[in-house]
Amino acid sequence: MRFPMNTSRNISLKNIFLVFLKIGTFAFGGVYSMLTFFEKELVEKHKWVTHEEFIESVALGQMTPGPPIINTGICIGYKLKKIKGALVTILGQVFTGTLIAIILAIFYLKTRDNVLLESILKGIGAAVVGLLLSIIYKMARGTIKDYKAVLFSMASFIALAIFKLNPIAIILFAGFAGFLVFGRKSK
Amino acid sequence: MVNTLTIGGGFVMIPLLQKEFVEKYHWLTNQEFLDAIAVGQVTPGPLTVMNAFIGYKLSGIVGSILAMICTYLPSLVITTIVVRNYYIYKESVFVNASFKGIKPAVVGLLLSVALLLAKTALVDYITAGIAVSGFLLLVSTRIDPTFVIIGAGILGAFFL
Repeated sequence: MRFPMNTSRNISLKNIFLVFLKIGTFAFGGVYSMLTFFEKELVEKHKWVTHEEFIESVALGQMTPGPPIINTGICIGYKLKKIKGALVTILGQVFTGTLIAIILAIFYLKTRDNVLLESILKGIGAAVVGLLLSIIYKMARGTIKDYKAVLFSMASFIALAIFKLNPIAIILFAGFAGFLVFGRKSK
Repeated sequence: MVNTLTIGGGFVMIPLLQKEFVEKYHWLTNQEFLDAIAVGQVTPGPLTVMNAFIGYKLSGIVGSILAMICTYLPSLVITTIVVRNYYIYKESVFVNASFKGIKPAVVGLLLSVALLLAKTALVDYITAGIAVSGFLLLVSTRIDPTFVIIGAGILGAFFL
């Protein structure tokens, strides 16, 4: 069985691009604000996908490698216009952010020796550490539910912090170990 | 510039990027890496935008465009393949079980990198205070991280 397609309706690539450009531009602050935006634009306003299809696309976006929100866009784009649609959703979503990041990069490189900017960045750096910790806290609450999961995260922490192993290797190994540990049980 | 295996959220890529750019190739310092995360967070769109920032810092416009292509190409290819075989993938015991192992592992990886970056960023009581209050704000309220970062920048301008 395949993912249900609704290519039959007439939706132009330009329209898809514009909608995803809008989503990418106005959704500040990461995945969660983007999801509400997605839902409003795609399901309620344009009716390109149904609510169920939307939820399925989100789940799929989380199950595939890459940023989930981008992958959700790819799913929806692919359903609407195959590979071209998928490509257009990526372009739309990252366009504004990339542009601003480049402008900030230019500004950053030119003014980095400025004393005031240095202290601003010091404050921001500290906040980013707090932000990372809050993400870790939220992720841990969602994923660490039994002692096996605790072992997994401790093992990978030690592997990276003390033994300096390659993170990609750690992730691949964790996936394989997960298959061995959880694979049999879930049947 | 390859960062393919970012499973389950943009934040997963942080340990990978830190390892590659800072420790292996020494293209960035830890402080510059923190700045890049901040940029990714305050700009609209997904956090991966920070790759454009890193790319620009390394080799100008070409670098940032290249970084964006490399970031999204694997997503595009894999997700498209998955969508075509959606139901087989969803039911796959292998995929589900593997993810159960990967997700907690990622928590451990992130923690390790956060500590490493904390050593660079938290140099005195004020920076430590900013980090702790940022953490508490983000955990206990639904405040947008963008405001926390901007607020920290303002505090930094006055006190650091």
